[in-house]
Amino acid sequence: MAKSVRASVSKRNKAKLRATVFGPVVDARTQRLSAKLQELASQPKPNAERSGMELDITKTNDHIDKVDANVSTSNEDMDIDRSSVKNAQAHSNKSGRIQKRHKKSRSSIVFQPRLAMFEDNDNITAVPKAFDKVIFMVVDALRSDFVYSNNSGFLFTQSLIRSGAALPFTAYASSPTVTMPRLKAMTTGSIPSFLDVILNIAESDTSSTLAYQDTWLTQLKARGGQLVMYGDDTWLKLFPGLFERQDGTTSFFVSDFSEVDNNVTRHVPKELLRDDWSAFIMHYLGLDHIGHKAGPQSPYMLAKQYEMDSVVSRIYTSMEKEKHLQSTVFVLCGDHGMNDAGNHGGSSVGETSPALLFISPKFQTLGSFRKSPINPLKDFQYYRTVEQTDITPTLAGLLGFPIPLNSFGVFIPEFLDLWESSLKKVHILLENSKQLLRAMREAFPSHNFEPDLNSSHCEIEPLLDIEVARCSWFQVLRLLPDSSGIGKEELYPELESALLRFLKVAQRVMSSAASNYNLRNLLLGLGLNAFVAALSLPAAYKLLSTSGYAGAFFALSIISYGGMMFASSYVEEEQQFWNWTFTAWVFYLHIKSAMHPHCSISSKHRLSKHHNLYAPVLTRYGAVALLVSHRVLRRWNQTGQKFAAEPDIARSFLPSQRLVLWSLVALTYAYTCMCLFAHRCHSRLWRLCCFIVTAAALILKLAFVASDFPELLYETVPIRSGGILDGGPLILFTRLVMGGIFSLIPVSMYFSKGQQRSLGKEDFPSTVFHEALTLFLITQSKATNIPIFLILRLHAHIISLMKLSVLELTITSLIVQYMTFFAFGGSNAISSVDLSNAYNGVGNYNIIPVGVLTFVSNWSGPIWWVSATRVLRSKQARHERQAYLAVITFHLATTLISVMAACTALRTHLFIWTVFSPKYLYAIAWAIFNHLTVNFVGEILFLLKANG
Amino acid sequence: MPSPPSSPTPAPPIITTPQSTSPSTSSSTTAMESEKSAPPVPVLPTPLAKACASLYPLAVLAFYAARFQKVVDDPVAELAHQVPILLAAQVAFVVVCLPAKGTAEVVSEGGVGVEGKVGGSGAGNSGTGGGAGSGVILRPGKVGRRRTPNGGHASGSGSGSGGAGGAGGAATTLTILLATPVLATLLILFGAPFTTHHLQTLLCAVHMAILSSVALVYVHGVDGAVWREVWGVRRPGDVVWGGALGTCVGAWLGAVPIPLDWDRPWQAYPITILTGAYIGWAVGMALGRTLLYGKRIRFVEGDGELKKVE
Repeated sequence: MAKSVRASVSKRNKAKLRATVFGPVVDARTQRLSAKLQELASQPKPNAERSGMELDITKTNDHIDKVDANVSTSNEDMDIDRSSVKNAQAHSNKSGRIQKRHKKSRSSIVFQPRLAMFEDNDNITAVPKAFDKVIFMVVDALRSDFVYSNNSGFLFTQSLIRSGAALPFTAYASSPTVTMPRLKAMTTGSIPSFLDVILNIAESDTSSTLAYQDTWLTQLKARGGQLVMYGDDTWLKLFPGLFERQDGTTSFFVSDFSEVDNNVTRHVPKELLRDDWSAFIMHYLGLDHIGHKAGPQSPYMLAKQYEMDSVVSRIYTSMEKEKHLQSTVFVLCGDHGMNDAGNHGGSSVGETSPALLFISPKFQTLGSFRKSPINPLKDFQYYRTVEQTDITPTLAGLLGFPIPLNSFGVFIPEFLDLWESSLKKVHILLENSKQLLRAMREAFPSHNFEPDLNSSHCEIEPLLDIEVARCSWFQVLRLLPDSSGIGKEELYPELESALLRFLKVAQRVMSSAASNYNLRNLLLGLGLNAFVAALSLPAAYKLLSTSGYAGAFFALSIISYGGMMFASSYVEEEQQFWNWTFTAWVFYLHIKSAMHPHCSISSKHRLSKHHNLYAPVLTRYGAVALLVSHRVLRRWNQTGQKFAAEPDIARSFLPSQRLVLWSLVALTYAYTCMCLFAHRCHSRLWRLCCFIVTAAALILKLAFVASDFPELLYETVPIRSGGILDGGPLILFTRLVMGGIFSLIPVSMYFSKGQQRSLGKEDFPSTVFHEALTLFLITQSKATNIPIFLILRLHAHIISLMKLSVLELTITSLIVQYMTFFAFGGSNAISSVDLSNAYNGVGNYNIIPVGVLTFVSNWSGPIWWVSATRVLRSKQARHERQAYLAVITFHLATTLISVMAACTALRTHLFIWTVFSPKYLYAIAWAIFNHLTVNFVGEILFLLKANG
Repeated sequence: MPSPPSSPTPAPPIITTPQSTSPSTSSSTTAMESEKSAPPVPVLPTPLAKACASLYPLAVLAFYAARFQKVVDDPVAELAHQVPILLAAQVAFVVVCLPAKGTAEVVSEGGVGVEGKVGGSGAGNSGTGGGAGSGVILRPGKVGRRRTPNGGHASGSGSGSGGAGGAGGAATTLTILLATPVLATLLILFGAPFTTHHLQTLLCAVHMAILSSVALVYVHGVDGAVWREVWGVRRPGDVVWGGALGTCVGAWLGAVPIPLDWDRPWQAYPITILTGAYIGWAVGMALGRTLLYGKRIRFVEGDGELKKVE
């Protein structure tokens, strides 16, 4: 979370270096890669079979010569690579964009590990494999402290750590920390693209398949092994048809804590008895679901950890007992962690620190006994931290297959001691180094890795990572001929450390350079956006130029927002900007209302007596009331990065003050009900309808809370409605309530026939539609966020009393839309997407309803304000409405331009994937859903209605 | 102009003057409208006062800069230590450079109706004065009290030392007693921590109060009309109001560096705010004395512009 001073300094330096050095290389690399892939795809298959046979033939003891030979021929290798690349380049230039597409279009055979054969085959089995089989158990969101700390439920696993049978690590999972990119990292060893985040959500998309990429799964398959898979069906989408036996579970139905896991566990005993598989993969989702729904401190969490521990225990016992499992390595890992709210996707320490354990009785011979459990650490870095990509080369080394070509991983050196001969250790590392070196040559063709060239260069302290990598490779080369020629054992440790040093640097280089961009599309999008801004500019400018301070304020806020998008910390802390702007805007409103007190009062002369008393007071001190309520709102949910962990109202205060919480929630519902009453106050039937719907909505909320956050309910609400309404009935009930809420609108139309609207309510920001929408949004909000709607109502009421011009109202609406988005707990990190209400009334995963509900539950504040502003603007003339539309469109277009420009300009920035890209995704959501759908379409309907 | 009876609430009298006729009147012609109270206050016309007014903000900034490291190291202790020093300096400054409450009235060229009434006292109209900024008419008045209706006649020049001293004392007391809680509340409303950092907020408010309101109280006392103008941010620009508004705006701008991920110790809560307040105060004083002297923030039918009063 807290990035150090050093981080920000090195961030700048690296960005500079990357812009000048790596930037141009990246594009070239993309082309070459795609060309190479095409080349490979068109190669005949037999090669692979032959290589597979060679594996067995090749002897292990005469590898010294081969090491030597390889070193000497490495230059030739490169030349060959180059020439083939050149040949292929001609026809890849036109379409060489996304590698995935190429592979797909070219190959029809799924199972072939396309790239594995590219390894120089004669060396593959130089080292005897340590294991035959792998049991790969992924527990989704298994943060390191869930296994290693004092509070963990993994008691058996901790005993394994103490006995040395389990080697524990913290595996650094780079952002985006969502399941699919992490699985890609764990299986290919490469850093996945950010596009995978979207694909992760659009689960049905199979374009992200890894079937054509080189992974340890395909390597095992190529060796003739069988793979079985139970759990998260993301695997099945990544590797379609690869598994002999499989049973997928959907990873997006987060309300389900137990079924998903039982579905996996029931297969475990019988699979453990079978000996036909060489990889047995499990992916448990329950723990992640608990995190999303109830957070890491939830009472469910510990129970789930015990359950997972029992699975580990069962597997380990079998590994000890069963003969066919004796040569099996058991990997237990999390794909990512979670933050304190139980979400993930961002780059905070909690999210990037999953646990990683290699378990086998064999490891006891390594004699590494570690202390366990450990006191909870704040930075989650338990034991040694390795990269998540290291899993792939480590498995490759342990199971004895070639390292997948795209891997950036480094063999975890702790396992080197499984081989007694240091020759074999060196060999493992050398294989890894050559594979990485090959990848590096492709990435940096301008750098020469030939030893004869200026090695004197290395005597000066090299500045760039790539230079460091080169120099450490030269150092390896210097040591190599000696060791192979004479075979001095004493040189091996030195060589080993030199190799490890090279691997580390090479990994760093590759991880930071592993992105490719399509600049043309980026610029095209930017241009389109500028076009939209230019279209809306004339109308917006007309209004802005005649509006004095308000116009200046608007322009300044756009400019400062645009500038802010280029600074990573301001992107992370965007809520501060809106809060800060809001205070300034309230100050402006205050000056204005204090300046012309008579304006607002004279406009209220028609009000009832009740209003007459407090309206002037509220007008005069409305700004103060706005500020006070805003101050409360600001503290409701702490978001962002820097202050996210500080206590706030929704997570610290309300859960401990349940009576206050539920009183406020009840008040919110009651007030909404009253507002509904007020519209057709003469009809008893209407009142009854409203009451029933509101009461049903409240009961529904109670039922949801009882099933998801029972800790919010104890004592205060004696009725355990959760018990009655669970599973299917709850879904039905939810649908009924939602249907009821929306049927209020037609019902109210029926009642309004022949009836006049009650007097005195025109100044109140309320319509039946607005109230029904409020009720729906309340249903879609977390229980602790529901009282926020009271504050929103107060805000809307105060604003309605101030006599604001079109532009002022527009600016107010814009600021409060953004401000409330953050007040509800949103932020610019993927991890803050709240899924806990995304499945209300949805039985099965279906992208459309779940997507809509997810959007509504995360954007409830902005949606409410769009609707409230519409009510506030109900008396506006047509040209004023058009001006409103122009101004908000202009605002959106300009802010979007700044976000896009920032992402384009900073595409080589260190935080591009962790900070800027998530912001870009959010900007898309703001633009497409909030602006185009909610604001724009709603406004056009409104205009049409006003016309007709 | 007469004003209607004031309401029981602290709200100012409701002015029934019609809106300004044209929004484009940025010139000095229609300067008088709605309520008028004390006109902008110039620095005393003595050479000492003028030199002092120029140098004093710089001296305070230099002092603050010199002690900045200590503020960063231990904000609470250091800020507490600085309070008496700052207070003494500020009182000395206002006594030397500014006319005390009731001792000076600057009158605009067009003949201003100065209306200073609270709670039913009649409007006290000062006489017409000389040219812009130059006509300083000093008159005696009771320190810390409302202006009496008959305080309209001009007296000789030279501020009474007793009056000035008493005004300084009143300014000090009122600043501490009234302005500090108000500013602390404002700080919290504008986003300062509410549950923690109480001492920091309080000290920050004390510093801001000394910077902004010692001079205001010294010059204007508890003149209700002036304070209503302060509440409505409608005071004409002068050294006092410029300093006060600058302090608040500076403090607001001071929040900008806090979210940055530099993890510097000076990013801790009160420091940037207070630094912004100090800088804003100095800038506000300089601007108020020179460029923006006599100008007000003004909105006319949704059209806001700085309007010259002189």
